[in-house]
Amino acid sequence: MTNEIRDDLKYTESHEWLKLKDKKAIIGLTDHAQTELTDIVFVELPEVGKEIKKGDELCVVESVKSVSEIFAPVSGKIINVNKKLDDSPETINESPYDDGWLVEIEIKDTKELDDLLSGDAYKKTI
Amino acid sequence: MVLRSPLHNTHKELGASFTEFAGFEMPLQFSSIKKEHLTVRKSVGIFDVSHMSNIWITGKDAEKLISLTTLEDASRISDEKSQYTAMLKEDGTVIDDTIFMRLGEKFMIIPNAGMSDIVTDWLNKKAEEHNICATAENVSKDYVILAIQGPKSRDTLQKLTDTDLKNVKFFGCQYVDLAGINCIISHTGYTGELGFELQITPPEKAEYVFKKILDAGKEFDIKPIGLGARDTLRLEKCFILAGNEFEDGRTPLEALLSWTIYWDHEFIGKKSLLKQREQGDYERLTYLECMEKGIPRHGCIVQKNGKRVGKITSGTLSPCLNKGIAIAYVSPDNREIDSILDIIIRDKTVKAKVVKPPFVKKDWILTQ
Repeated sequence: MTNEIRDDLKYTESHEWLKLKDKKAIIGLTDHAQTELTDIVFVELPEVGKEIKKGDELCVVESVKSVSEIFAPVSGKIINVNKKLDDSPETINESPYDDGWLVEIEIKDTKELDDLLSGDAYKKTI
Repeated sequence: MVLRSPLHNTHKELGASFTEFAGFEMPLQFSSIKKEHLTVRKSVGIFDVSHMSNIWITGKDAEKLISLTTLEDASRISDEKSQYTAMLKEDGTVIDDTIFMRLGEKFMIIPNAGMSDIVTDWLNKKAEEHNICATAENVSKDYVILAIQGPKSRDTLQKLTDTDLKNVKFFGCQYVDLAGINCIISHTGYTGELGFELQITPPEKAEYVFKKILDAGKEFDIKPIGLGARDTLRLEKCFILAGNEFEDGRTPLEALLSWTIYWDHEFIGKKSLLKQREQGDYERLTYLECMEKGIPRHGCIVQKNGKRVGKITSGTLSPCLNKGIAIAYVSPDNREIDSILDIIIRDKTVKAKVVKPPFVKKDWILTQ
């Protein structure tokens, strides 16, 4: 089982990572999450332009056996989605922190970022 | 209480992740459902299916008891043959589907997981009610069941026995000495591939046999397979899973099991089936292949022109076809081959075509 955690990212207890730059965040699933889910075979992504609240359903990730809802770790507007996942959802398994990212969000309220975990803090939760 | 297979620790050592199924904690997967699935289609895999039940039926009227309580006239099944059948209530709905084996004077039946007490009690009750001299004994805890499935299954097992396994014909069953252990072998399975199932007793001997088979299959890259791939493998071949396809009380006519009904004998539920057959107006199992992206799941509604026409009992992504596939009960007028239906997946509509079973044909491997 792999459990890579990168120090330059922020995390949630529900196994998302966020790469923060200015007021934008790229969001994906952690290595731990993709290992647990295994064999991701379908990803339902949100529409670009959609406004989303923290805790809302961001997307749905399906493995052969299970359906998992991914909830938005911060509020904001979807400005980009990883179209590659439509045809190659397994990219999340192969490259969870790089090619397998899910969406990019324009952050509405940077205060929400205070709830996010550092790599070390996330490590303790898994 | 959750039950475990006697091989639980062996599975742990092999890296299994576990799932609960019908009261048993069994391996869900060892490596990846997709990889395990393709291993069985292309080479060989070994499954521990000890969650399934074992019942011995003995007594001078054992044959009569099976004939009365199943769709089959057991007198037609000769020694060392097995038969797939189903057991019905008086109202024609299925209690369980099962395989029975005739082994000399005795019969062994293999009901589904969690059904051992229900089926044993039912058989003994019916024997008493009908003055049949036969007894059902639940011996599930005394047996480990292994399934060795895939095009290389026979080559793997042949290394461990002097019995020529080519002589164990489809649905044949017999005692065999395998790796020095006497067990029951049958040419049966739940994957649609060449395959065998072993009944091993006492359970303490199973780990040795399991490891011997893994060794023998090394040259074919044998893998241990979990319940995840067991489900996708059976679904691609349109085999029924009792807990899903018989949910809410379904008859063998609805479940498209009429090929297993031997009408020329008396059995419990027959009257109800005759009545249903005459009426004709009942939902039937229907096989749906998605034409768009999306994975149908158990419970999804099937529509035509916005009107509900059925409900999915089993669905998955087919690892061989890389498409969503599903089994649904659909009303009789809406299930013609090639007709297009809508599956509702999380409020979205996914178009699916009614296809002939199985989803994955016998020669699939040749197309790879």
